[in-house]
Amino acid sequence: MAIKFSPKKKFCRFCADKNLPLDYKRPDILKDFITETGKIMGRRITGTCAKHQRKLTREIKRARQMALLYYTSRHSIEINKKIEGAMK
Amino acid sequence: MRLRHYETLLLFNPDMNESERQEVIEDLTKVIEEQYKGKLVAKDEWGIRELAYPVKKHTRGYYLRLEYAVPADGVAELERKIRINEDIFKFLTVKLSDKFQEA
Repeated sequence: MAIKFSPKKKFCRFCADKNLPLDYKRPDILKDFITETGKIMGRRITGTCAKHQRKLTREIKRARQMALLYYTSRHSIEINKKIEGAMK
Repeated sequence: MRLRHYETLLLFNPDMNESERQEVIEDLTKVIEEQYKGKLVAKDEWGIRELAYPVKKHTRGYYLRLEYAVPADGVAELERKIRINEDIFKFLTVKLSDKFQEA
């Protein structure tokens, strides 16, 4: 019998924890939902529900406008510092 | 006129000194409270923070969040004032609610 691969069930973090703020002012939380290159991760990857994904997208875009999150990793000060450090 | 509940996040030049900044903040507060008879609910100073990407060649910036209630015209005037100031790099206004209830 073939062994079926069963990945861990994903769930919406914002539904599970109603107190978790979904806000552009909290880039520390939003950071979990963008890739290293700065793209917004899809629902199928993070497991976020449709309602919260819409809000999440909006808040990430707001955070980018205010320089709380980077648009792409090339512009990120934090990541560029790491690269510089590694080159030395 | 009906008051609406807004919040504005401002990003100041980090090289600005304290008194200059306070002057700007006072000026904005005047627009809210005197010119438009609104109410400043919260003034939240985040202080100097590292930016995610450089803005006008600065890698750090001073953040300030204002929460207030003004009629809709008040926001336009406030944003006009903000745009004139060259030491405010970025700003973002979000409407929190159409109604404002005094706590």
